[in-house]
Amino acid sequence: MIDTIEKEENIISEEEAAQYDRQIRLWGLDAQKRLRGSRVLLVGLRGLGAEVAKNLILAGVKGLTLLDHEQVTEESRRAQFLIPVDADGQNQAQASLERAQLLNPMVEVKADTDAVGSKPDDFFFQFDAVCLTRCSKDLMVRVDQLCASRNIKVFCGDVFGYHGYMFSDLGQEHHYVEEKPKVVKGSNEANDGPEAKKPKVDPNETTMVKKTVSFCSFKAALEVDWTNEKAKNNLKRIPVDYFLLQVLLKFRTDKGRDPQPDSFAEDSQLLLQIRDDVLETMGLSSELLPNTFVSYCFSEMAPVCAVVGGVLGQELVKALSQRDAPHRNFFFFDGLKGSGVVDYFGSK
Amino acid sequence: ESVPIITNFKLAESLSSCRVLVVGAGGIGCELLKNLVLTGFKKIEVIDLDTIDVSNLNRQFLFQKKHVGKSKAQVAKESVLRFCPSANITAYHDSIMNPDYNVEFFRNFQLVMNALDNRAARNHVNRMCLAADIPLIESGTAGYLGQVTVIKKGQTECYECQPKPTQKTFPGCTIRNTPSEPIHCIVWAKYLYNQLFGEEDADQEVSPDTADPEAAWNPADAAARATASNKDGDIKRVSTKEWARSTGYDPVKLFNKLFKDDIMYLLTMDKLWKKRKAPLPLDWTEIHHLEFSQEEACGTGLKDQQVLGVQGYAQLFHRSVETLRSQLIEKGEGAELVWDKDDPPAMDFVTAAANLRMNVFSMNMKSRFDVKSMAGNIIPAIATTNAVIAGLIVLEALKTLNSEFDQCRTVNLQCCSFHTRHTVLKHELHHVLFYLVLFSICFSHLV
Repeated sequence: MIDTIEKEENIISEEEAAQYDRQIRLWGLDAQKRLRGSRVLLVGLRGLGAEVAKNLILAGVKGLTLLDHEQVTEESRRAQFLIPVDADGQNQAQASLERAQLLNPMVEVKADTDAVGSKPDDFFFQFDAVCLTRCSKDLMVRVDQLCASRNIKVFCGDVFGYHGYMFSDLGQEHHYVEEKPKVVKGSNEANDGPEAKKPKVDPNETTMVKKTVSFCSFKAALEVDWTNEKAKNNLKRIPVDYFLLQVLLKFRTDKGRDPQPDSFAEDSQLLLQIRDDVLETMGLSSELLPNTFVSYCFSEMAPVCAVVGGVLGQELVKALSQRDAPHRNFFFFDGLKGSGVVDYFGSK
Repeated sequence: ESVPIITNFKLAESLSSCRVLVVGAGGIGCELLKNLVLTGFKKIEVIDLDTIDVSNLNRQFLFQKKHVGKSKAQVAKESVLRFCPSANITAYHDSIMNPDYNVEFFRNFQLVMNALDNRAARNHVNRMCLAADIPLIESGTAGYLGQVTVIKKGQTECYECQPKPTQKTFPGCTIRNTPSEPIHCIVWAKYLYNQLFGEEDADQEVSPDTADPEAAWNPADAAARATASNKDGDIKRVSTKEWARSTGYDPVKLFNKLFKDDIMYLLTMDKLWKKRKAPLPLDWTEIHHLEFSQEEACGTGLKDQQVLGVQGYAQLFHRSVETLRSQLIEKGEGAELVWDKDDPPAMDFVTAAANLRMNVFSMNMKSRFDVKSMAGNIIPAIATTNAVIAGLIVLEALKTLNSEFDQCRTVNLQCCSFHTRHTVLKHELHHVLFYLVLFSICFSHLV
């Protein structure tokens, strides 16, 4: 069931106790120890990546590898807070390293400048969790397949303008605990007086309940069949963001990049075309995703990165600490409406 | 058709002339400042009266260990300028309740955003913003929960429109005579600290309450008890502090008075114990003679999370009384100490006294870690909740400013479709976003 904590991670130093005090009081010492023993790979250091990096480093993981093969541009530098102003032209992961490390000297932060697509399979096996941003659909499918079977937690996430999403695959059997209030047994002589003549059990005492949940692959989540009747009936309740994601991932595959403000006219046209193609292939109407969507999916809105990065960061913390029910398996955020939705797509 | 929206950059141009005020540079404040500059805000003023503590570092990411003790507002400004040197930030190491920050001051801004942790300041800023007629975005977080609210005079209800739950207090007789939960003992211990070492307060009595209505078998009896003088020790006539002084703050005498003599007195009020388990007095000498099991080694937990035995807390009581006595002497004549959860002897004292009392009243004792949470009103906090809420604040800020500024409107024409929803009924809570990370729940913008 729940993996035992390795011996070397067993002692918490005074420095850690002081720094992590306010979070130990929330998720407990055991969870903090598990975090302390976890190694995470973070791919992509733009707006969303920087937020996730910050959140994981502050949480106190053992190690975080920042992987990004791209170079810093004025646009990418203005999108995040870890890259110094004079770093244009440098590698993005390398440029983010120093300030990321300063967030928490107790975490081992590394920079890797390779392209994630060029990494051999066993590269990923050294991590307990992998978080992919700005990756193509095929790459995410490949990494997910590789990792989930080895109990490596897989997360994907992106921000497109005002929209963002997070996907998680925690494997076939993800074990975790939940803290529940203790049921206080005992005589309830309501009329006899205020208290029973027994030693007092603190009404705030809690107990840990063990649970297990299963996740499907990213591939399965994206290849839901919408042609059958049941799916069609559920359509009204499906967040439109799911289809928007399909469109944007197809754009990314076809163009090798995300929609850019500099080529707004050309990219908008292509987005509408892809929308038509994608929905038609699924046997669905174009009206499901109205034309207005093109205006809101360019660039990365900083506050949307903060929201999605916060949720993604917390899901990683939950998965690594094996505590509290994980979101299963998508989180969609619409920054225009200010609405966030958790929903499940894939084989049940 | 409408001009399409654009990019972050175009939006940024229109925002660069907005002046905004951020009240607080802590958990929400740090995240908020970062979001504001990355979104394109340039003219930001931030105010915070506090200095940086090591326990802030798990989430207030603009601060590092080397900054502990320095002004939060000042260091926050410096850290932000490092990744956005073109931002125009003014930092105030001051309380927003200082009269210098009058209505005219508030009128300088197009928007005020709170990032506070206390009600007094929130009430104050609320009133200033109403007086200045400036929109206010209110927010708060605790653990995994958070909330964002927009307050606009004439359009939404204000922060004080809805009554807020007040801090829980306990009746005097529960604290003094019949505690039934650890928190009662902890409150008692804090009162005791004040009575012995700090500012004496008539509402913080620790001695047995002879006027307890529950103790009286009949009304006349209650009156008699209230005026009767006692045989041993003049419990009522001499204040706790005077009594302690007269013994030179002798820890053993103090221990026996509080945990033996006073308890024995309570036992004479037999009606209280008819339906309750009676308290069991402790005697200093007896405790140290009995064979209690040795406390286990610290092991793999936090030292503070250990629960000691009665002997352990008796020792802790003894040590902390001696230390606090020294502190008093050092400060001189008429000195008073102020309780602070981060002052180790003060925290030790409350831990020990509260636990000894819990033991007397047959409650399971608590670790220093747990006592500190309760005594210090510590609210657990993490980076991610603050990150999400601060993101939502900026999104609300953009919508709020769009309805105020024409220049924003031309750049953000596409946004107008949801601006029309700004028409509101008076006294209807508007723009409230609840965020729960813990549960798989859909959260949506209530319109």
